[in-house]
Amino acid sequence: MTNINHFDKIIIEFLFYSGEIGASTVSKGGKMVKYKIADIVFEALVSHSFTKKVCAAYEYNGDEPVEFSMVITKEDIDNERRRTRDFYEEYLEWLALLRKLCAYAVQNANALLFHSSAIMVDGNAYLFTAPSGTGKSTHAKLWRELLGDRAVMINDDKPIVREVDGEFFVYGTPWNGKHRLDSNIKAKLKAICILNRAAENSIRKASTKEMLLTILNQTIRPEQVGDMDKLLKLIEKMITSVELYSLGCNTQISAAKLSYETMSGEKL
Amino acid sequence: MKVKDGFILREVAGNFIVVAVGGAVKNFNAVITLNETGVLLWRALEKGATQDELVKVILDEYDIDETTAKADVLAFINKLQGASLLV
Repeated sequence: MTNINHFDKIIIEFLFYSGEIGASTVSKGGKMVKYKIADIVFEALVSHSFTKKVCAAYEYNGDEPVEFSMVITKEDIDNERRRTRDFYEEYLEWLALLRKLCAYAVQNANALLFHSSAIMVDGNAYLFTAPSGTGKSTHAKLWRELLGDRAVMINDDKPIVREVDGEFFVYGTPWNGKHRLDSNIKAKLKAICILNRAAENSIRKASTKEMLLTILNQTIRPEQVGDMDKLLKLIEKMITSVELYSLGCNTQISAAKLSYETMSGEKL
Repeated sequence: MKVKDGFILREVAGNFIVVAVGGAVKNFNAVITLNETGVLLWRALEKGATQDELVKVILDEYDIDETTAKADVLAFINKLQGASLLV
């Protein structure tokens, strides 16, 4: 049986919002498209209209130089298929693009993919992380109910976190979760919160140890030792420079009030 | 006994973890955390050590009796073997 790793479990979620997949057309030979994601300018040879469509908001036509080029090969598609079993090819291309971008991000850009729901309030980014199905998106929705227009979704599923001059920023990406919520924006990371379901709401500071283990299970871990060391250094800086919390929460609006007020330090 | 190739011990923000790299990634997705004693034993096992040598590592470092040290070493080895981390 195929060994499905933690990341593949994360991406299998995507299977369930495949409404647009299936009837996609393949342009012969593909097309080089320029993107800017997490301030990384790159070009990708994209064959499927699905990939082009879901990444459209991140296409780039500016003058900044291209940092790297990627070609999604048949081997990459097969690799994704092995990992995720039986997906449509256009969908596999989109995943392969993500995997290549994340490998580049860790190696060259002090950046990592973080499976979480990212919300911006008053210019600050807040991340909620948990295993799939715990309720990240639900809690993010409660924040939007509580805060209205002040709460902007950066990304509901897979934002990229990047260190720039010692500060951490959260960026929108096209891999935006089943509710399709993302914005092509960035915001300074203020706090990260691990979500747990609970009958009663409570929040406490999280230790660097529990956050480290959580992040390692909610990102793509590189295979090469040098890249792994880069990732671990990046996570170390991240978890020692922002606030870390653990929230036990139900789905009442009071859960959002508790987490927002604690993490932002602002009373509503 | 020796730790298999492809498992690396690292300190991250004061926490000691072991992760798989290279070919070892295929069969091991977990992250192991080690306390101070675990780190001592792991480092000995990176070089290769017998059970008796591991007991000595603990006795040299901590003020405990040999029976306890032996039990701790055995428990540690069993855990690592259970996860197929030793050769």
